[in-house]
Parts: sequence; structure tokens; C-alpha cells
Amino acid sequence: MQMASARETQRKVMTSARTDNADYAADLLAQVAATQSRRAFSELFRHFAPKLQAYATRQFGNEQTAMDLVQETMTNVWHKAHLFKPDKGSPSTWIFTIARNIRFDILRKNKHRQNDLSADELWPILAENNESLDDDYSLDGKVLMQEISSYYAQLPDAQREVIERIYIEGKSQQEVSDSLGIPLGTVKSRTRLALKKLKELITAHD
Amino acid sequence: MIKSHPSEANLFQYVAGELSAGLSLVMATHVDMCSQCQAAVADIEETLCKQEFGSTEPLEALNCEQMMAAIFASSAPKSVVRTPVESMLSLEGKRFNLPNTLARNRDRIGPWSHMVGKLWRAPMQVSSDSSVNLIYMAQGATVPEHTHKGTEATLVVNGTFNDEHDSYHDGDFILLNEKHRHSPQTQQEDCLTLASLDAPLHFTSGISRLLNPFSSLFFR
Repeated sequence: MQMASARETQRKVMTSARTDNADYAADLLAQVAATQSRRAFSELFRHFAPKLQAYATRQFGNEQTAMDLVQETMTNVWHKAHLFKPDKGSPSTWIFTIARNIRFDILRKNKHRQNDLSADELWPILAENNESLDDDYSLDGKVLMQEISSYYAQLPDAQREVIERIYIEGKSQQEVSDSLGIPLGTVKSRTRLALKKLKELITAHD
Repeated sequence: MIKSHPSEANLFQYVAGELSAGLSLVMATHVDMCSQCQAAVADIEETLCKQEFGSTEPLEALNCEQMMAAIFASSAPKSVVRTPVESMLSLEGKRFNLPNTLARNRDRIGPWSHMVGKLWRAPMQVSSDSSVNLIYMAQGATVPEHTHKGTEATLVVNGTFNDEHDSYHDGDFILLNEKHRHSPQTQQEDCLTLASLDAPLHFTSGISRLLNPFSSLFFR
């Protein structure tokens, strides 16, 4: 009995130490994102929920509100794990900023109007729109250049302009949007249309 | 080259979510424009996270299984983030490129109104306790000398303005309180600024003291 409990404690310590490792936690998040792994999530939960609870209790001094923050934060982790970007920081910092956002809104919920600026509008860490090119559209630059040089003259001017800036000048979509003075959405749709058209042209000539 | 940044202490308060919504919006817009402060914010997020997540509560009150069951049964929280629809702002025949934070919150920018002289203002609806305005100063404009009751944050979105202390360019962030008095003006260049204020401006000099009611134009 005693031994079992000692092992149990030891296992908990080990799990916690592993989850402290950013790569390991990032891997758990990736599993949650890819396969909705409840096992991976519950490991994240057992590691982060007590930390969130301690943070929230210090912030609110109210157990119920603290619990709400824990639940809301972990609910976002469960549903939005795919938005975690390992190159932008550690899983624990990502989860902290989610909690910070929720706290910001909870503190303002009661005394403010519905239309007030929300934390997600200040810090869009859970925004679905991706600033960078979707993976489907990030083609190998060199191959693309060889392939498309003869085809891309056939693109409509508006699309060619965007493609030139992204693939030849190496600009980001946001920069193209800024320099041409057109909305980011338009840059994205022109990129998609142009690449689709190029693909058609290339396959037609293969 | 941005030379005027928020203090380290301000950045900590911003990252922790301790500042008013209005000041936070101005800080976020500065951070959009400033790679140095972007790096600082990333560092501070990490530092605060280590600090805040350093301790754990004993889990007596936390029923993990029950909460996880509720989470698995929940539907995905819907994203309230607006995607930037249009990042250009047209005003007085000029076009300005809005930094991401402003572009994302573009629908919070109210109508432009001409104040006095060469000054225009558009209020931003941010929260009931913050006053945030975009202020446009045409070339050769002067804002009468004033102090601040409370804290005024100003960010140069585009252009240049001067006061008695210095000249400020794109991305410069200036935080002034009741100890400071200044009279911003533009010379050959016009200037679009974003300003948050937590109390009315207080005009101090000569005839412009008569303009004190004018401060209510900024703070509304």
C-alpha cells in the first residue's frame, strides 16, 4: 500500500517534470490538435490547471471566478490547440497569455458595455486567420520560378503583381497588402487564384 | 528609427493586462510598429509566465475529472476576432496605412470631425473609462499648450510632430502626466497620431486658457 502510493507520487513528479519540458508539452498540444487525444489533453490539464488555479486565485481572490478562469482557459486549449505555434514561444507562455486574456475580460465584464474592446482584439492569440501563406501555397521558390516564368505572363495584371512581389521580391502577404494599398484578404485571394491558374497552365503543358 | 518607447514598467503592466483598455490599445499599436518592443513583449510574457505559473494550488477544490468532462462536452468557443478588412485610412485626400491593431479594430473608429485650425479628430470606441482618439494635424498645425490631468499616451502613426522637448516620428510613443506641459505642432509634414487620455487636457497658456472647453473635444 505504502509502496504503491510512493510509486504514485513518483509518477506524478515525473509526469510533471516531463510536462515542464516545452518540447514535450508542445508534442501533447500537437496530439490534441491532430487527433483530439483526450489522454494528451488530460496530461496537459493535470500539469497546467493547478498553475492556472494558483494564478487565478491570486488575481481574483474568489474561488468560483478562479475556477471559471481555469475552465475557460483549458477549454480554449482543448479546442484551439492547432493555433499554438511552437516557433513563437513555449506552450506554457501560450497558455499563460490565453489566461491573461480571459482575466482581462472577466475583470471588465461587469462594469463595462458589451461593445468594449476585448482582450482578443488587443492580443489576437486565438485568431483563426493565418498571417503567413498557407502551407498548400508555399511552393519551392526555385522550381516555381523555372516553371512559371513562361506562364505567369498569362496571368491578369492584378494577380501577376501580387505573385511577383511574394515570390520574386520575397514579401509577405501583409507587406504586399501594405505596399499596394489593398486588403490582406484580396492579396490572399489573388494569390490563390493566381497559383490555381498557374497550376492549370503547367499541367496543361506537361 | 523609433526612439521613444514605453518604459519597461509600462510594458510589464501591458503584458500583465493591468493597463486601461485605451492605453493598452495605444501600446499594442506601438508594438505592431516596433520590433524592439515586440521582442521585449515576448521576453516579458515568458518572464511573467514563469513567475505566475511558478506555484501550484493544492488541488482540493479542483475536480479534474469533472472539469475535463465538461470541457470535452463543450463546443468550441467562437472567435471574436475581426479579420482586418481594410488597412488604409483616407483623410483630407491622404491615405494612411493602419498598423494591424488599428486595422483589426477599424470598425471602432468613429467619424472624423474638424476641430479648430488644422486639427481633425476621430474618436475610437474602446471602453467606457478610456478616451481614445485618432488626431490628425495638417502641416503647420498647433495644439495650444496644455498639461494633462491624468495620463496621456500619444503614438505617432504617420508623420512628424514637435513639442518643446523633441520631435517625434512614425512609431514614437510618448507618455505624459500632469507634470508635463507641452504644445505639439507640425511644421512641413502632417501627422496622424493615436492618443489615449484618462482625464481632460488642461490648457495653461495665455489666451488658450479660454480654450479649456475645447479640451472636451478631445475627451468625450
